[in-house]
Amino acid sequence: MIKNLSRTALNIFVSFFFAGFVISNSLNAADGKTVFKQNCAVCHTLTDQRGTGPGLGGIKDRAPGGDWLFNWVKNAEKMIKSGDPEANKIFKEYAPTVMTVFEGSLSDDDIKAVVEYIKNPPAPPTPTNTVTNDGGEVAGAEGGISPLYILLSVITILALLISVLRGVRVSLRNITNKKEGKAEEPSSTFWEETKSWMGGHRRFVGVCLIVITCIGVKGCWNTLFDVGVYYDWETGRGYKPEQPIKFSHKIHAGDNAIACQYCHNSVEKSRHAGIPTVNVCMNCHKGISAGPSGEKGTAEIAKIYAAAGFDSKTQKYDESKANPIKWIKVHNLPDHVYFNHSQHVVVGKIECAQCHGDVKKMTVAEQQSPLTMKWCIECHRKTEVAMEGNAYYDKLHEALKEKYKGQHMKAFTVSQMGGIECGRCHY
Amino acid sequence: MKFEKIINLKSVAAAAVLVLSSCSNAPNSPGYEFMPDMYRSPSLEYYSTHTLNGDTLLTAKKPVAGTIARGHMPGIPAGMDYEKSGLYLKNPIALSDAVMKDAEHLYTNFCVHCHGKDGKGDGAVGQKLPGAPPAYDGTLKSLSEGKIFYSITHGKGMMGAHDGQLNVEERWKLVHYVQKLQGPKAVADSAAAKATGPVDELKKEEKNK
Repeated sequence: MIKNLSRTALNIFVSFFFAGFVISNSLNAADGKTVFKQNCAVCHTLTDQRGTGPGLGGIKDRAPGGDWLFNWVKNAEKMIKSGDPEANKIFKEYAPTVMTVFEGSLSDDDIKAVVEYIKNPPAPPTPTNTVTNDGGEVAGAEGGISPLYILLSVITILALLISVLRGVRVSLRNITNKKEGKAEEPSSTFWEETKSWMGGHRRFVGVCLIVITCIGVKGCWNTLFDVGVYYDWETGRGYKPEQPIKFSHKIHAGDNAIACQYCHNSVEKSRHAGIPTVNVCMNCHKGISAGPSGEKGTAEIAKIYAAAGFDSKTQKYDESKANPIKWIKVHNLPDHVYFNHSQHVVVGKIECAQCHGDVKKMTVAEQQSPLTMKWCIECHRKTEVAMEGNAYYDKLHEALKEKYKGQHMKAFTVSQMGGIECGRCHY
Repeated sequence: MKFEKIINLKSVAAAAVLVLSSCSNAPNSPGYEFMPDMYRSPSLEYYSTHTLNGDTLLTAKKPVAGTIARGHMPGIPAGMDYEKSGLYLKNPIALSDAVMKDAEHLYTNFCVHCHGKDGKGDGAVGQKLPGAPPAYDGTLKSLSEGKIFYSITHGKGMMGAHDGQLNVEERWKLVHYVQKLQGPKAVADSAAAKATGPVDELKKEEKNK
């Protein structure tokens, strides 16, 4: 009997499990939205807020009519070269940054979808967090209840109802049996009753099982895309752990315009960008002991002093009291992949924001790219290597010039020089 | 019967809790993992701790005392103070356009937020310090290269030591940039020339040629 019971529990558990996955993983977003998130959102916002490129709020009214926007997204460089006045105006305003050419990497249908999407963007989401001046975060009301919770509570209520009704039925039957002087029926277990009920409704049970299996398989399939990915495909937001000190990138890199490299100073020399040691904090915080709005900041900065063994009254360090800050790493790559920051930043001349998002606006640091292999490879496929005048590639550039003498090379991407070979990152 | 019912309810509740917790999108949770040892390998990660014989140790270690890095460029000899550095240290890196370009890049990354774009001490962070950094073409106009190098290396006043962030070569490159921001030296100030030592005099001669 116990075995039966545990099987029931297992069955319920499994069906709950699958149902949960399905609801939490509705991957099928609108096409234009997906294309936008993966290709455009790094530089463009859907509001008037300027990023690396212009904000796209009201682009419908601003952009010249006809196919202009489509052509611009497809091949901005061609537009500029053709002498289009609007194209050249934007080019001058944002020089030396030029919009990426998407011809080749995006199909015409994709471009059409994304143009449609930016012309009619969804209403901006109401912010769930309000940010106070000193960078401390005040939790706002989370919008709505997840459908998963609704479903689960419905299932729980139904299950309770079934067991209560069953109890009532059994006791009623017992009473009538007693009145009529019949012998008490042998009590059957819940599972036995369910089994006999299922025997009577075979077709219904069969259909239910097929539906549950399909949902389960789809749910598992979807979930596989989330395994090991610290990133939510739906919202485009990722891992955002709470740090031991409420450090705000917005105040430091944004408001005070401190370069990323000041703190992450090994980014140009090493595979790791580096997490700053406490002496880097102390370079400025020796003199700055209060945040922009007072107490909250003061308490957080006091944590730096504690970590450095610094006495702000005497302005002296006591190394025996120093204790490293246990920062939590936000961007994690598994051990079986090799990534080198200096190669990307120094040689590839990639901006920090291309992978890390607009950190200058983040109160709490957050992962903003999927960091999946697909994501790496997509970029390696479409990124053209800037070899001209790049000392790192001098030798290779000369060799290639010799090899392709007389031929017109349109582009030379990272993948063409082995950037998607397995051994390049996995060894 | 009752006992079984309790078990049943309990297992349902446990299942529900399990499902709920596995689907949480809490920002503190890194999400689903499969075969976690592929992600969290037994090898030591940098910037973390490990235990050895019951002691918790940092994985980031200082090199053995006396270690010299490949391509190491000597910095300030032990025991040399600010004044002595001003007298005896000279820039081993010759000034060139490439050096200046590197130096400008370093300056924007490491100095600008306090000292400001033109070295006037008007950077965003500099303004928030108890005292803004003095201007290179003002108070610090006649500061010798050795003293500039010493200040970057070990810090000076409110400024912290930057030898952890910048290697010797980078620091000397920055000295060139700071000298550019100092502007042309005042020739009449013979006292300053004396204090800055023979190196600056040599430079002046080079310029005159």
